[in-house]
Formats: sequence, C-alpha cells, structure tokens
Amino acid sequence: MLIWFLPAFLSFLLLGLPVFFALLAAPGVLLWLNGQEKDITLLYRNVYNGMDSFPLMAIPFFMLAGELMNKGGITVRLVEFSQALMGHLRGGLAQVNVLSSILFAGLSGSAVADTSALGSMLIPAMEKEGYTRRFAAAITAASSVIGPIIPPSGIMIIYAYVMGESVAALFLAGIVPGILVGVGLMLMIRALADRYELPAAHRVVISGIELSKLEYWFSFVLVRLNLGWLAMQFIPVGEEPSTTAQWLAFGGGLLIAHGAALGLRQVFSRDFRMVCKRAVIPLQTPILILGGILAGVFTPTEAAAVAVAYALVIGFFVLRSLSLKDLPQILSRSAATSAVVLLLVGAAIAFKTVVSLSYAPQILAEFILSLTENPLILLFLINLLLFLVGMFLDAGPAIIILGPILGPIFTDLGVHPIHFAIIMSVNLTVGLATPPMGLVLFVASAVSGERVESIARAILPFLAIEIVVIFLITYIPAISMTIPRLTGFVN
Amino acid sequence: MALLNALLLPLQAFNETVLRIGRGIAILAIALMVLAILIQVFFRYVLNNPLPWPDEAARFAMLWMTGLIAPTAYRRGGFVAIDTVLRTMPERSAAVLSLALLAISGLVLGIAIEIGWGEITGFLSKAKTASLYFLDGSFEWVKLPRRWMMASFFVCVVLLFTVNVELFLRTLIALAGGGSSLKELGPHEDEIMAE
Repeated sequence: MLIWFLPAFLSFLLLGLPVFFALLAAPGVLLWLNGQEKDITLLYRNVYNGMDSFPLMAIPFFMLAGELMNKGGITVRLVEFSQALMGHLRGGLAQVNVLSSILFAGLSGSAVADTSALGSMLIPAMEKEGYTRRFAAAITAASSVIGPIIPPSGIMIIYAYVMGESVAALFLAGIVPGILVGVGLMLMIRALADRYELPAAHRVVISGIELSKLEYWFSFVLVRLNLGWLAMQFIPVGEEPSTTAQWLAFGGGLLIAHGAALGLRQVFSRDFRMVCKRAVIPLQTPILILGGILAGVFTPTEAAAVAVAYALVIGFFVLRSLSLKDLPQILSRSAATSAVVLLLVGAAIAFKTVVSLSYAPQILAEFILSLTENPLILLFLINLLLFLVGMFLDAGPAIIILGPILGPIFTDLGVHPIHFAIIMSVNLTVGLATPPMGLVLFVASAVSGERVESIARAILPFLAIEIVVIFLITYIPAISMTIPRLTGFVN
Repeated sequence: MALLNALLLPLQAFNETVLRIGRGIAILAIALMVLAILIQVFFRYVLNNPLPWPDEAARFAMLWMTGLIAPTAYRRGGFVAIDTVLRTMPERSAAVLSLALLAISGLVLGIAIEIGWGEITGFLSKAKTASLYFLDGSFEWVKLPRRWMMASFFVCVVLLFTVNVELFLRTLIALAGGGSSLKELGPHEDEIMAE
C-alpha cells in the first residue's frame, strides 16, 4: 500500500501542488490510509528536525555573502577582469561571459544570481558589439549553470545534508567538472564564431582606473599573502618543521611573491594591472572559503559565515559600495530564499523516512536491475531520467526528491557516493537551462527581453556540449574524484 | 462577492501586519546567526577556547528566521511548484484547480497545526536546550525550554495556514470575476537562489 505514495506524490506535483506540500501530503495520506496515524506525527517531527541543522546554516550564509558581494559592485570588476584576459579571443564578449560565470561561481553558487547579475550587464554590451540578443541571452543562461557546480554550491550543501555526505568532498569534486563545462562552452563559442561570423575580437582593458589607497594596499597585501603561501609550499622545511622554520619559510615565500609581482609590473601595462587589482578582492572569496575548509580551519558553515564577514568588511570599509540602508533588503532577500530551501529540505527528510518505510528504493532497484545489471548502461539510463526530470523540475527539489531514492541503488552497484552526487548535481543543474521549464531560461528572458522560445533554440549547441560533459563526468570518475582523493576528503 | 471581500480584507490586513513584523524579526535573526558563528570562529580558532552556546544560538535564530519569513515567500508565490498544467488550462479551470490545490495545502497545514500544538505542549517540550539560558522572573539564569525552539515551526505552519486561507479567498474572488479589484501581494519571489 505504502509504495503508492510515489505515484500519488508525482500526481500532486504534476497538478501544480507546491513541492513542500506534495512532499508531505502524499506520504501523509497513505500513512493515514495504512492506519499508521502515529507516523504522521513522525513526518511533522522530521520536518522540524530536518531544518534544525548546523551544516544547513551554510545555505543562508552563502546566499547572503553572494548578495552582499553582488550589491557591492563586484560583478563589474569580474567582467572587466575577464575582458582584459579573454576579450581578444574570437567570440570575445561571449568568452568573457563564460569566464565571468566561472569566476562568479566561486562567489555565489547560484545560476539564477549569475544570470541576472551578469546578464543585465553583458547582454546589452554584447548586443552593442553586434551579437544577436538571443545568442547573448543563450550563452548567459548556458554558462550560468557553472554557478552551482563550482563551489560554493547551494545544491551540493542540500545533497550532502539529505544524503549524509561530506560538503567539503562535494565542493572539491565540483571544481574540475565546473571548469570543464566552462572550457567546453568556450570551445563551442570558438566553433560557432566562424559559422555565425561573430563580431571581431579585441582586447578591452579599461583605462584610467584609479583605486582608493585602502583598496590598493588591501589588494597589494592579499596578492603577496596568497602567492607567498603558495611559494612556501615549495620551500623544503623537513617532515616536522618547527614554528620558527614555518614562519621563515613563509617569509621566504613572501619575498619570492613580492619579487614576482615586481617582475610582472615590468611586463604588463598599468591599466591591465589596475583591472587585475580590482578583481583581487572578489576573487579572494573562493580562496578564503576553500582554503579555510581544505586547511581544516573552518567547517563549511563557518567558512560561509567568514565569507559574509569578508563581504561586509569589503562592502562597507574597503570599497565603500554598501550603505546601512542596503542591508535590510539584502538580509530579507537572503532570509526569504533560504527559508524556502530550508523548509524543502526539512520536508525532504520527512519524505525520506517514508521512502525507507515503503521499501521503494529496493523495489525500484529490483526494477532497474531487471533492465540491465551493467552499471555503465544503468548510468546512461539514469542520466536520461535525470535530464528529463531536470527539464521540468529545478535542481534543488529534484535532488531532494530523487537523491534518497536513487543514491542507495547506485552506491550498492559500486558507484562512489560522491561520484554519483556529482553526476546527479551536474545533470540536474544543466536542467536549469533546458526548455520547457528551465529556471535560468526564464531569468535570461526577463533580463534580456528576448522570448524564452528563441533563447531555448539558440541554447541548443551549448546544451549539446554540456551533455557531452555530463557523460565525460559519468564515465571518467577521475574527473570529479581526483581532487577530493588528493586532498584526503575521499578514501 | 461582498461577503468574500468582507472576509478577505481583515485577513489581508492581519497577514500584512504580522508578516511585516515577522520579516523584521527574520532580518534580525539572520544577522544574529552570522554574529554567533563569527564569535565561535574567533573563540575556537583565535583563542582556542570554543564556547558552548553559539552553535545552538545560531540554530535557534535560523529556525525562527525560517518560521517567520517563509509565509511571506509563500504569499508572494515563492514556493517551488510545477505550474505547467495550470498555465496551459483555461483561466476558469485553472482557478478551480488552484482552489483544489490550496484546499490540499490547507489540509496539510491544518493537520500540522494540530500535531504542532501537541508537540509544543506535550512531553517532548519539557526538554531543555543544551546551552542556551535566559533570566527568569526571579532573576536566575535557567536553561531555555526546547519548546521555544520548536514553537518556530508551529508559528510557521500557523502563518502559512492564514496565508493559505487568504490565497484561497483571493482565488474564489478571481473565479467570481473580481480579480481586477485584488491588491498586489508584493514582488514575486520566484528566484530560488540555491539554484
């Protein structure tokens, strides 16, 4: 009897019942019909307990950090930096769009935020350069899916929590796949550049930029600290170095970094250096988050809170681009969006309880294994299923619903849980840009004023490359697993 | 129609006022969450002396933030749903289906209110939080009852229920042809940033 909660749930969902209510109504009705009224109380308790979680707190913090950074004007800096680096390549501004998305991904972890922030700036600029509006909107939407793949990522926090995996391992596993999607899109732009005669490329370095003294010195110190720490890793100090030896090595690293920075000053123009310097502050955020987690200094939740503090200090004191009157709106937006996600996660935890009570994973596993026992073919089929689901449902809810059902099946088949998490996350994230229900298509349409249908047609070549990347990730586990293994987050 | 409007207007005013206050507290709560965790980071990593209360205090604030601002998101259409069927249907049929869906949501929330009340007044509510204290009437520090945390979700479902009733009445009015007279519910919050 209880197994009928899945079809009931799907019916509610397809009729348009909000996912939060569907996650509770379907199992609730069937528990009641099954005479298990007491377990309905368990559903309520599990929603509450599901939300009462320390790791989940990273979601509102990362959202808040992203909002603060965005409001603080970092988008312009990232785009200028990308333009200075890649504007000269064929399909210049389209390439800049993709690189900006990769950089932006390290700050926000949200495809929607990426599309609205970068789209509102880059789509008009691309149109002015001679790109069609639908092409500009399509590449903005296609590249925005990198946001939730490269850490920090909201959907990976959700997956990790619902499935009991390590957030840090998932973050690390997403780095290479995210970059791979970006590189794939850049190659596709290059291929399309000849076919569609995209506008000629030219490097754009904004000239005459002046930095405030505080920002100049802040960037100056940050660059040397980062490079110095990196250089320190190559200075031999023995197996168990004393604190003095470590400080000396760090000092040596700082000297090397300062020397390298002085050397680069001779090679690059002042304008180029200023554009790069303006990007240092936003680009420090992912270094702070990942560096803190990797070094074992912070938990992901603490890293997220530190990112918020960093964004506040930068916005109020260094860049002075934020004012106190901006704060209520930023806090309210972050609180509202995270509240919706937290309720969904709580409901998913309750749903998961009924999933296990109903033996649905075992029954589904038997069905799936009756199709074939070859894990490679099963992974192909599951990718198709996820892609279809992604066409109609957003990544977060899809993960919440399908994770507890599909995860255990593939883990039993020998697929590493982190590998499966990445397959699922990347596939469903790409679904955000697929017609007919891709969320970012609607956002790109709102930002550009272009019809969703025409963006959906223009995005097809980019979706094709993203599908290729999904299959690469699926069949070459090393793409996602190497960094977590090297850093010791996965055995 | 006049009866429906007479029912809607006070409920609308109530929701607007209560949710505005809720949003204000939620804003404070998210700020306190950040502050609590930063204090913990400072004490743990700088002073090497972790405090017992910041983690629990931050969770307390997060639960109340969620409970008080989620109804605003629901009222403004921010709850994720697949609305393909609704959008392809003729207006009147879509309104009828919306009513049915709101009735199901209302039923879920009604049952949740009943269970929730039992939870915050029952056996489990007698438990205390691990490390949060408050000054009681006799000016002594006592541990915070756990039901103060659990009440956040109860308040959430109660507010969601009142919003649900408001949305139900609005849909009824729209079905009766009075849709143009309905007041806007504020900016549409359909951007789920976790995506």
